[in-house]
Amino acid sequence: MRLLAAWIVAATLLAPAAILAHESSLGVLELREVRQGAYVGRWTMEPTIGAARVDLRAPPHCFLHMPQLECGAKGLVGAMTIGNLGSRMSAALIKIIPLQGETRSYTITSANPTVSILGSEAPTLESWIALGATYLNYGVDHILLGADHLLFVFGLIWIVGVGRRLVSTITAFTIGHSISLAAAAFGVIGVPERPLNACIALSIVFVGVEIVKQRRGEAGLTARYPWAVAGGFGLVHGIGFASALAGLGIERRLLPAALGFFNIGVEIGQLAFVLLTLALIWAHRRLGAVLPGARDPLPGYAIGSIAAFWFIGRLLRVLAID
Amino acid sequence: MMRRSRQAGVGALFLLLSATNAKAHILGARLGDFYAGAAHPLTDLKDVTLWVALGMLAGSLGAKQTRPLLLLFPFGLAIGVTSAMALNVTSEGALFAAGALVLLGALLAAAAPIPVVALGGFALVLAMMRGAANAAAIGPETNRLLFVAGLSAAGYVVVTLVSAATLAFRGEMADARAWRSIAIRALGSWLAALGLMMGGLALAS
Repeated sequence: MRLLAAWIVAATLLAPAAILAHESSLGVLELREVRQGAYVGRWTMEPTIGAARVDLRAPPHCFLHMPQLECGAKGLVGAMTIGNLGSRMSAALIKIIPLQGETRSYTITSANPTVSILGSEAPTLESWIALGATYLNYGVDHILLGADHLLFVFGLIWIVGVGRRLVSTITAFTIGHSISLAAAAFGVIGVPERPLNACIALSIVFVGVEIVKQRRGEAGLTARYPWAVAGGFGLVHGIGFASALAGLGIERRLLPAALGFFNIGVEIGQLAFVLLTLALIWAHRRLGAVLPGARDPLPGYAIGSIAAFWFIGRLLRVLAID
Repeated sequence: MMRRSRQAGVGALFLLLSATNAKAHILGARLGDFYAGAAHPLTDLKDVTLWVALGMLAGSLGAKQTRPLLLLFPFGLAIGVTSAMALNVTSEGALFAAGALVLLGALLAAAAPIPVVALGGFALVLAMMRGAANAAAIGPETNRLLFVAGLSAAGYVVVTLVSAATLAFRGEMADARAWRSIAIRALGSWLAALGLMMGGLALAS
């Protein structure tokens, strides 16, 4: 377990290096229909790699020569791909503003570089499948790339251990973040991004402190009521998940489905992380590798220090000092 | 105290109700190329078979032989990939990989007792070579620190899980004539055969 902790700590310590690399990696392309089947493209948020370097591919019946996109009578329907998404441009949002009807938005991520443009008619089965695949992948991607969420879940596992208590704790975290994810995505609640991110970091500091308390023999709040702590902080993390969706400007008719698939994706990613952690704990016990157990302070200090580092950085952003 | 809590509550409520929707990702802590580093060796047959073979060999020898590998193997991967980056040397190392697989498979099939030091030394060299081979996947835009961390973590996870599973399958006090031990040895011979085929392919191409 000490080795496991050391590895997770080492991996997470390296995460701050990625912060800058991903900070403005989202690009937003607006395609405005100027006459039937003809669009004019404009990057309203230019990606870090520069608009000219984005490898954007339109459906085969369309002719793309930025800023013009000609799709003829069939209109802009079919697969759109960005071929060079990577660390410097992790996602792109394509907003289509038709002559008639609602604005539609599509998210392209490195995990899912192709999206199906649905058209203004009622979505077909094929388009639902495309939507599902997009947001399922996006959910998995979001949790697995989010070192802060993973560290929080890891801290919970450390405190509650393996067994029934872990199931109830993870379930409470899931329920908590699902509620706030839905509430925030539908606009029932709104929280500014920067303070929210600072609160998420603070929740991990709290878990770190709770681990140290446990080491001292004190029964902290998490040890006594793990489901309540997990559920409560789950609400905070859920708003964070929702901010990922809100920024993408999904059209309202598709929001419930997108939200559902995104949440399932988040759960799949979270479950995969929990199972991998449990498998490693089992393997360490089997191999007789040193297990610090609940009374070792190292994981608590490590988790707390990393999260405090994030918290200070995010707090500076709240105060706009950066 | 009560008053302060109430003030904090009102402040939080105000924040919740007055704010506009959050409009961006949480991008404050992204692992990015960590997964690129972790996934790259798992998509290469040379790495997957070698790591699994090493884990099986260590697990078949017992917990004592395996424990040093949990640090040595990922450490070797990290050293290998960083050295290759620093020296700007990238090599697939196909022949070395094939030879190492033949050796690992043969040792597993023979159920040879291997001292801890010898196994650890071999694992370190193997990890350094495979780490260097994986450096070829690092592009100019790749976050190198995250890639190295991902590669090392993947090596650690694979060797730990495979060796523990092998040990669990074999049992603590394995009898060489028990069917489980025979099954592990049979797998070793298959791995050696796979290594021979890989070597033949590397020489032919």
